[in-house]
Order: sequence, then C-alpha cells, then structure tokens
Amino acid sequence: MAKVLEGPGMGLMKKWGIAVPQYVVVTSADELAKLGQANEWMKKSKLVAKAHEALGSRFKLGLVKVGLDVNEAVAATKEMIGRQVGSITVTQVIVSEMIPHKEEYYCAVKSTREGSEILVANCGGIEVESNWDRVKRLTLDVGQQPTSEALEKLAKDAGFSGSLTKKMADFAGKMFTCFDNEDAQYLEVNPVVVRESDGELVALDAVTLLDGDAKFRHPDWNFQFAAEFGRAYSKDEMDVMAVDSKIKGSVKFIEIPGGDTAMLPAGGGASVYYSDAVVARGGKLANYAEYSGDPPDWAVEVLTEKICSLPHIKNIIVGGAIANFTDVKKTFGGIINGFRKAKSDGKLKSVKIWVRRGGPREKEGLDAMRALRDEGFDIHVFDRNTPLTDIVDKALQK
Amino acid sequence: MSILANKDTRVVIQGGQAGVNAARRMAEFCYLIKRPLNVEAFVYPPDAGKTNEIPYGSGLIAIPVYKTIAEATKHHATINTSLVYIGADRAMKGGMEALDDPHIKVVSMITEGVPEKDAKLLGAHARKLGKVFNGPSSIGIISAGSCRLGVIGGAFDNLVLSKLYREGSFGVITKSGGLSNEIIWICSQFADGITTAIGIGGDAYPGTDYVSYLEMFENDPQTKAVVIVGEMGGDLEERAAEWYGAKKRRIKLIGVVSGFCQESLPKGMKFGHAGAKEGMKGEGSARSKSEALKKAGALVPPTFGALGPAIKETYQELLKSGQVKEPVEPAVLPRLPKSIEEAMKADEVMVAPLIRTTISDDRGDEPCYDGYPASELINKGYEIPHVIGLLWDKRLISKQEAEIIKRIMMLSADHGPCVSGAYATILAACAGIGLSQSVAAGMIMIGPRFGGAVTDAGRWFKHAVDNKMNVDEFLAYMKKNVGPVPGIGHRVKSLRNPDKRVKELVGYVKSLSIKTPCLDFALEVEKVTAAKKDNLILNVDGTMAAVLVDIGFPIDSLNGFFILSRTIGLIGHWVDQKRQDSRLIRLFDYLVNYAAPKRREVPPLK
Repeated sequence: MAKVLEGPGMGLMKKWGIAVPQYVVVTSADELAKLGQANEWMKKSKLVAKAHEALGSRFKLGLVKVGLDVNEAVAATKEMIGRQVGSITVTQVIVSEMIPHKEEYYCAVKSTREGSEILVANCGGIEVESNWDRVKRLTLDVGQQPTSEALEKLAKDAGFSGSLTKKMADFAGKMFTCFDNEDAQYLEVNPVVVRESDGELVALDAVTLLDGDAKFRHPDWNFQFAAEFGRAYSKDEMDVMAVDSKIKGSVKFIEIPGGDTAMLPAGGGASVYYSDAVVARGGKLANYAEYSGDPPDWAVEVLTEKICSLPHIKNIIVGGAIANFTDVKKTFGGIINGFRKAKSDGKLKSVKIWVRRGGPREKEGLDAMRALRDEGFDIHVFDRNTPLTDIVDKALQK
Repeated sequence: MSILANKDTRVVIQGGQAGVNAARRMAEFCYLIKRPLNVEAFVYPPDAGKTNEIPYGSGLIAIPVYKTIAEATKHHATINTSLVYIGADRAMKGGMEALDDPHIKVVSMITEGVPEKDAKLLGAHARKLGKVFNGPSSIGIISAGSCRLGVIGGAFDNLVLSKLYREGSFGVITKSGGLSNEIIWICSQFADGITTAIGIGGDAYPGTDYVSYLEMFENDPQTKAVVIVGEMGGDLEERAAEWYGAKKRRIKLIGVVSGFCQESLPKGMKFGHAGAKEGMKGEGSARSKSEALKKAGALVPPTFGALGPAIKETYQELLKSGQVKEPVEPAVLPRLPKSIEEAMKADEVMVAPLIRTTISDDRGDEPCYDGYPASELINKGYEIPHVIGLLWDKRLISKQEAEIIKRIMMLSADHGPCVSGAYATILAACAGIGLSQSVAAGMIMIGPRFGGAVTDAGRWFKHAVDNKMNVDEFLAYMKKNVGPVPGIGHRVKSLRNPDKRVKELVGYVKSLSIKTPCLDFALEVEKVTAAKKDNLILNVDGTMAAVLVDIGFPIDSLNGFFILSRTIGLIGHWVDQKRQDSRLIRLFDYLVNYAAPKRREVPPLK
C-alpha cells in the first residue's frame, strides 16, 4: 500500500474526469503570492489552505484554514510552512478554491478479496462515521465493470433521487474507473459536494492509496508516496528504505520512540511474532525491523547500525526462524560488522544481545556470533533447539 | 498421502536463474527420497532451445528450456504443475499462460511484488477453470516423502533434520515463507512431522485461502491435524474458523495469529506482510482472529512459543486414540554428495592444483600483487612501474628505478605510423577489425626485426659482462656464435643523426649514482661498431635492455617493456583510425612490382 497526498490524489481523479476544485501545491508563501497574481480563480473565489503532509487531525492542529482571500492564504501559508508537528515539519501547503455548497455526500472504492466494492452514502463529512449503515455497497468481481443500471440502483439505495441519482451514479462510475486504471487499493472522497454554480458533483477531498507494486506500469506516478502512519519517515528510516530499493531481498526499519527492546529479526512473518512476544512479556518495542530474501551482508550491516543507534535500548533481539535459503553466516557477518562499528563508536554499553536462528550455514553463523563474547559483547546465542521466541522470554526476565 | 503435490507431480518451471536454483533444491529432495527428478522442463524464452544442468546426487541432469508452456507440455505430456519465477511485471502473463494450458492443474507463483489486481485476476481465472493458483509470494509447497515444489524446506541438512523424507500426520498452511521451515521443524520435533506444508504467500489477497486447503486436508486420510500460521489483516483466518465451526471435521485445527503487538503500538502503525493490514473496527485484528478460531473449536496457543507444546499435546491424543502410530525411521538415508569446494572446506579431500601462481591473488576483496593490496599501493603513492616490478620481478622497486621505467615507457610508447607494429594495427583498423584483434595484429610484428631485440640485447650484454669479456672478445664471440649484435644498429639514425631518445635515457641514467655495468659495456661496444659504420649505433632496444638488466629485471621480462609501452601507441592508432572513420586500405598497384609471369593460356586438365 502506498499512500498519496491530496494534491497528486486529486490529480489522478481529475485525469479520469472527476470534477475537483482548482488547487495548487506550494512550498513557500512567495510561490503562492506569485501564483495568486497569475491565476484568475485565486482572485475570484474564497480559498482553503491545508498543510500538505501525511498528518491526521489537521483541523485541530490549525493546519486547515478556510474562507481566505489570496493575501490571507499567503499569510496562512507563511504560518504553516516550517511548523513542527511531532517528527513532521510542514514543507508543503495545498491551496484550493472553496466550493460553496449545501449538501455533502460520500463515495469510496475499496479493494476486496474477490474484486472491489463501491461505497456511496447520501451524507458526508463526519456524519458518515456515525451513520455507517447509510453507506450502500456495490460489489464487483475483479475484471468486472459496473453497469450504469447497477450504479443508479446503488445511488437510489443510498437515498438519492431525481437528477442527483444519475449524477451520483456517474460520479461513482468515474471513481471506479480511476480506481481500476490507477491500480488503487482505496479511494475515498468525503465530502462529495454539489457545486452551487452549476449543480455538478465535486470531490472536495481525496484519500488515495495506490498499489506500490504496480508502479512499473504507471510512468506518470511522478509523486512520492507518503508514510502511512501519520508521521513522516525519519532519516534513518529513509536510509534503510534507500538500501532496500537497491538490493535483492529486503531490509525494513521503523522506529518506535520510547521503547527499550530493539528488534533485529529475520523474515516478515517471524518478525511480528517476535514483536508480539516482546509485548506479551511486558516489554516496550523500540522499533520494528526485518531482513529477508538473502540480502547482501552490507545491507544487513546498515540495518544493524541503525538499530544499535536507537536511544535507551537494553536488549537487542536477533531472532529468526529456520531460513529456507538466506545464508545465516553471510547475513550474520553483516550484523557482526554492524555490532563492532557500534561498539567502537561507544554504543551498546550495557546492552544485552539475544540470538536465535537456523538455516543454511547456521553452525558457522552462530559460532561467529558466539565468538563476539571474546570481544566483550554481552551476547547470548541459541540454535534451532530453542523455540523461536524463547529468547524474548529470557531477555525480558525480571 | 498428501495434497497438491505428490509422487505424480511433474513440473515446468517458468523463469531463469531463480527457477534453476529452485530446481536444484527440488533435485536435492528427490535424491533424498530416492525418486527421479520431478522437474521436466523450463519455460524461459531467452534461453529456449538450451538446457539447464541440474545436479542430482553426483550426476547432472539436462532439463530442456522451451519458449512457451504449450511447447513444454507438448514434449512432456506428464507435466501437471507450474512454478512461476518470472519478474513481477510479466508474472501475470506467465501465470495466465500456465493456467490456460489444459495439462496444468496447479500453478504456484513464487514471484514477489505482483500487483494486487494481477493476483486477483489470476486467482479468479483459476477458480473459473477449477484449478489451483497458489501465491504470489509463495515460498513453495512440500509433501513429506513425495514432492517438493520450490525452496520450501531449506537446505539438505534441514530436510533431514525436519524428517521430510517420510510422511507425518500434520498439515501446515502459512502466509510466511520464513516461518514455514520453523513450523515444519516444530512438527517434526513435537510430533511425527508433516504431510504437506503450503506457503500461500504473504500478499493481501493470495490466490487461494486457508479454506480451500483445509477442505483438501480434510479429504486426505493421512492428515490428522492442520497447523495454520496467520497474521492480522484480511479475513482468511475468520473464514477458516467459519469453515471449521460449520460442522464436525475429521481434522484437528491448531492456529496461531501474529499481530497482537499492534494493540500497543502508536495508532496506525502496522507492519509485516502486505496482507497484515489493520481491519476496520477491530475486524482483522490478531485478537479477533484468535477468538474466532478458538470459538470454532480450534486449539489456539496464547503465544508462538506455546505452539510446540500444543502440537505435542495434539499428537499425544492422536497416539492415544490410535489414529496415528509411532513412525519408523529408515535405517539409512542417502547423503548428498559434497561439492569439491565443500569437501575441501571441511578438510576431507586434497586436490592437486592445476596451475601455480606466485605473483597475484584475487580471492579477497581486491587483488594483491605479490602480497600487497592494490588499493594500499595506490593510497601510499606507488605507481604503475611498481606494479610492473611486483608482477614481473616480485619485488617492490625503488622510487629511482620506478622513474627509469616510467621514462622508458614514455620514450617507447609510440614511434609513428610507419613502423611495422603500428602499420599492421592501422591496416586492421581500416579493415573494420576490433580493438583487441587489431592491437594483437600490431603486437605480433614484434620480433627479431622490430622491437623484439630488447630481451636478446640484454641477454648478450649481460653474458659479456658476466664473463668479463672485452669488446673485441665480445664482437668475435657474437660473430662466431650468434650473428649481428642485438641492440646495435638503426635503419634511419646514425652518428651524424643521433637518436635523441637514447641520448636522453643514457643521460638520465648516468646522472644517477647507480652502477650500470651493462650500459657502460654497451656504450663501449657502440664506440667500436659505430667507428666501422656510422649507423651501427646503440639503439633504443639495446639501451633499454642494458639499463633494465642493470637494475635487475629478469632477462625474460625485457621484451615485455616494449610490448607494454607500445600497446599504448597501438591503441592510440586504432582509436585514431576509428575516429576518422578510415576506409579499407588497398595497396596501390604502383607500390607493387608485379614480377609474376605474363598472362598465358591455361593448359587442358590432364
């Protein structure tokens, strides 16, 4: 899943014929001031300015301002750019025309196991959350296109009547076309509004999740994907992502501030069980990490260095199941190099390291880890005969 | 018995190197269970018509590569299964091709990063055809004692440790390739092992679900219990629970679900497989999945660590009720022959080396010349002459010696287009011949009459000095035993028209405070010969030779200095001709003396 910010999300919708407000994305107040002189619509209509970042509850944070004229929008942009919210610095602001409207509706398309679902409600905004039963669904098998009859029936079921039925059906149809052609996994417009000037349905907001795996067939996806968890990626996270994009196999890293148990497990499946075990024993995770698919040792070394640099950690869990083909000796070589570097940089003081692993060249790999004891590491090494997550129990024993 | 993969499974592998690696793993398993290799063919258009060699025991089996699935199944009518290893951007096309072939019943896709829509289309197409589409991102499928599809099961030692050579009683379904071996291992340690283990892939919407396989396991009398390894996100586990709870089932169900940590993580933070997505309103969470499974009557241990004991408990019950018997282990298992490399690493064999080298070792992270790492030489200021010293004479030459060599190289890098080496290179370049061949054409001109006198000049000057000959003795000896003195004489230069290069080199070497007995002797010889005929002067070859012998280079390396430096010039000439897009050269008639007989009639054939 790959989250896309509102600007590029609206761009994709516009591409498939969905009416969206006029908008610009700017990185400075000066840029907006210049655009304000060049664009008639910015002079004519009231404007909305929003921080263009992957942030939840922007309204509450004062990062959404409505009913502005150009000068006020420039002032709002000046105020928002550079603001620090948690780990995110606001670097972009989206300024769009305000669409005067009375009615608000809801439309979404989501991926399901068999295909997709089109969701429509004749209420919108925060009303949808509390009236989920008013959301009506049209289920489609993969490869199937919705008929206009089915879309009109959906709109009718959702409570639309008169000329709005056809308009909503059309809107939902275009949403589906966008979803289907853009390899989306989730599209949501909330609210859909009726533009007072011409009675057309307009998308006032866009939540867009695309299938990052399909990027190869979308050369026009020239925007960056945003982090999905309500904060920007840290530099270390981005460093690991950069390594990940270059190698065969994978390395993954997400920081969790405030934790004391650092994770360095192998495998996308096992890593979650290890994290579960930490939580089950009352530990506090300092990160999530994972390497798999026989990555090169230097990539594992980079990951290890990041993990050793996490603040206030007491234990490092180097866990892993019995690998199919990941070379234990080689990947452990990367981990060992990372440990040595961290130690020579004065890190890993009073940090205990716990190792459990199996797979190709397990004996050589585990022996090399064990030998770190002689270099003064507080390391505890176990083989396949120790059940997978038992090292977590041992590490977190009070 | 087993499901999906059995002794009758015959496989086509779609893909290149990754597919070949999988075939090797599969061959290891076939060898362990003493069955013929189950891979019949590869489909990989770039290599169509070739074969891939797959080691089986100590032998090699050649497996043909075809362009299409249809060609593969036409030549191998027993093929019923396809493993897809082709890249994510072409995986759907390949998967569809396999599904559409009437011979193929099961398609298992190993490719990772396949777009969700493609995977769904493949899944839907398979269901329509009544076939199985397993994956994408599947680690494979293994049926103990009968069939391995893909690399699931890991290395040979692990196959043996996990007792995969004979059937057990537990079915396994996992989303995680990394955990598949772990569960197989647990089943073999806490119980009698597995029947079939399936990696269904960690994507959000895999082509098949737990239920389709649970149905198959239910119908497989050998399978008594099934372990499913789930994770938060999606609804596969809920569907499995629903199936299990719907009526009395013959098989026991044991399940674990990962993702409880999600509850104590910052909101919205999720990780693991693509499929591990948080559901809305608690649906799809690890907790709700676990509850659903428990409610349906499945055994759900509280943590992954408790899975082993839960499997053991189930096995003990099965033993007690007589549904399973203690397995009988085979007395002897085949052992996978070690490769020479492995056997050598384990000090088990000694192999007589084919060649011996004493100058160079490239096995580390960089080449070492006579023991010195190349990067260290660079970083400590050494230069190309030092590399020559190390590789030709196995010694680290001095700064002064390096300077002499540098000057020799610079003076002899090129002597214009007319000398035979350069001319041959130019001729070849104009004929459209490539760089290395053209330079080689110039290089083979180096011989007794062109540039190849360095070694011989060095040899005879040294002979004279070593035997303390005077010039007259030397000239007499040469006349009697060898012929003209190599290194003496020039085609165009003479006493009146001296060779600046020789003067330059001699002047420099004499300015240093080093002993130069050969050079001194050569200059003495020159005095005598040049007095006889004024072009019998010491030439570049002779000067280089004398100097290089004086600083200690081995006689046999001396021509190398000329070859090496002149290569710089020859490359220059080739590039020069290319740059000008020179045309083919044909010798002009007037440059040839046609001394052949006049035109005459050909006599009748007798």
